[in-house]
Amino acid sequence: MAASSSADVKIPKSPVVILMIGMAGSGKSTLMHRMVVRLSKHKKVYTVNLDPAVRNLAYPVNIDIRDSVNYKEVMKHFGLGPNGAIMTSLNLFATKFDQVLNILNKRAENLDVVLIDTPGQIEVFNWSASGQIICDALAVSYPTIVCYVVDTARCVKPVTFMSNMLYACSILYKTKLPFIVSFNKIDVISHDFLKEWMEDFEKLGDALSRETSYVASLSKSMSLAMEEFYRNLRSVGVSAVTGAGGEDFEKAIQEACTEFQESYVPFLVEQRRDLEEKRKASVEEQMKTFERGLDRAKATNKRGRDTDLDQLGEDVQNLSIEERDYMMDCMD
Amino acid sequence: MQLQQLHTVWLQRLNMSLAILHVCGCPIPRFFGARLKRPRTLINLDPANDELPYECDIDVRELVNVEDVMNELELGPNGALLYAMEYIEVNLDWLITRIRRATAEFAVPYLFIDCPGQVELYTHNEVMTKITQQLTKALDLRLVAVHLIDSTLCVDAYRYLSAVFLSLSAMMQLELPHINVLSKIDMVMDHTDDLSFSLDYYAGVSDLSQLLWTLQTTRHPMSEKFKEFNRLIAELIEDYGLVSFEPLDIQDKECALRVLGRCDTANGHIMNSEKVEDPSDPVSGVRLFQAGFSDAGEFLDEYLERYEERLQQR
Repeated sequence: MAASSSADVKIPKSPVVILMIGMAGSGKSTLMHRMVVRLSKHKKVYTVNLDPAVRNLAYPVNIDIRDSVNYKEVMKHFGLGPNGAIMTSLNLFATKFDQVLNILNKRAENLDVVLIDTPGQIEVFNWSASGQIICDALAVSYPTIVCYVVDTARCVKPVTFMSNMLYACSILYKTKLPFIVSFNKIDVISHDFLKEWMEDFEKLGDALSRETSYVASLSKSMSLAMEEFYRNLRSVGVSAVTGAGGEDFEKAIQEACTEFQESYVPFLVEQRRDLEEKRKASVEEQMKTFERGLDRAKATNKRGRDTDLDQLGEDVQNLSIEERDYMMDCMD
Repeated sequence: MQLQQLHTVWLQRLNMSLAILHVCGCPIPRFFGARLKRPRTLINLDPANDELPYECDIDVRELVNVEDVMNELELGPNGALLYAMEYIEVNLDWLITRIRRATAEFAVPYLFIDCPGQVELYTHNEVMTKITQQLTKALDLRLVAVHLIDSTLCVDAYRYLSAVFLSLSAMMQLELPHINVLSKIDMVMDHTDDLSFSLDYYAGVSDLSQLLWTLQTTRHPMSEKFKEFNRLIAELIEDYGLVSFEPLDIQDKECALRVLGRCDTANGHIMNSEKVEDPSDPVSGVRLFQAGFSDAGEFLDEYLERYEERLQQR
């Protein structure tokens, strides 16, 4: 790994890395597209796609996991279903993530923002060792912030809203990075009612008690705790489709960056060596798991023949991450 | 697989079935299917399941299969799964008939149901809640949700809380009695130096003050900012006895049976104890008596002994 192995090297202020995380259907990739278009008007933007199963991407991608890992092949050779294949694809990519960092290091001087699209199966990224590897590797190299995208229309029921916000807490506590919640699709429904709920826990409590009774008392107590959470939470309303809220979004990014510089950098620089070791160990673990899977596939000799599997094994060892040749200023 | 997995135990009172929903890849159905002598029916409710590591009695993939949906409707994996689940909901009679048929001969039927792991199904999409509610009504089931989380991903206080939030999130939507399980506890044992607090915590001997202390002394920028929030959440967890985790090492029979015992308590199967003849079944009279006297700490000591033995045999 280029720059970050020495504890003396500081974390640069740019580029800012934004991890777009959100559930399937939240509009994550659409929002990413919208931001790419918006930001590239006055900033230099770089994009990375980590979703191995996505069919079409509307935005131009600089590094795409699909170039290095073929998700359908993984499904076939390992005899996995769609979920297993996505997980394995991400695991494979994560073992070579230092190559991504090398590419970014080379480009860093000329970049302002790096946007990273994560898999639609949110748990693949959040509850896997590879998601952790990627997050940690980025956090010690560049100012990294998490943007959690929420479908506003789906939060109309207070229980669903709570559930979603608890999930946001879960991600925040997992990644431990500056956080922005983007309430997407405000062109469909304004997020004002959500702002109200977040600012006044009693209003949320009332809405909850009108709903189901089973979790009513639990929800009420939780809404008090959650109000404290919202106080420290940065949130914006956006519409990926119309572009509304773009300014607020950019402002939030700025604030998150400042937070990163002021609070996180001293901590991360100290932890860097530690984190780097943990990351290496994790990567080795992943490679071993992969090899075990390959051996198992060979042993049961399901759908792939031995030679195919050997080839796959070799391909993985030699997996190299390529960069596409998009000109930075050539976006629609 | 390291995906968090949601299980639901379904229990039917009086001649009805008990079911544990289990997510793909999780070893519980394999264990219970093979080694538990309790008469049971295994059901796979995950249309996207990979190879099933166990033999199931009812497989929803006969009704609808995610790969087929993906190909025919040109949907991605998520869209296809949601479509498949909604299809199942609309055609729930298919499942109900088969469950009735499969459990007809049992005096005290017990169902294990393997559920999909996609978090969207447990947060804002109501299809799982609707399915559980309809099945409950049609078959008079008592349900318990069993939520499995990979314990190797919870080794520090923040990540542990992250798992807590995850469980809370699912509990809110499903509205079922809930058991939380930290699985692969044997892998955590291999790395006890990395743990920021003792294994007791994982065994559910939850010490609120210890968690708070660990959070506050963890030198991280978030500790200051979220100090008050951490305190409130910790209080909430303690006040409501929410989210305590059961440790699970699938290779350890006692561990697995203990989890099953918890499920039985939560869904009321213990009421059927006099009908159970097998003395090794956690619900039988003998074991209930034993369980009443053991606390989590004792269990953990015994587990550690067995773990050491296994380690030496390796």
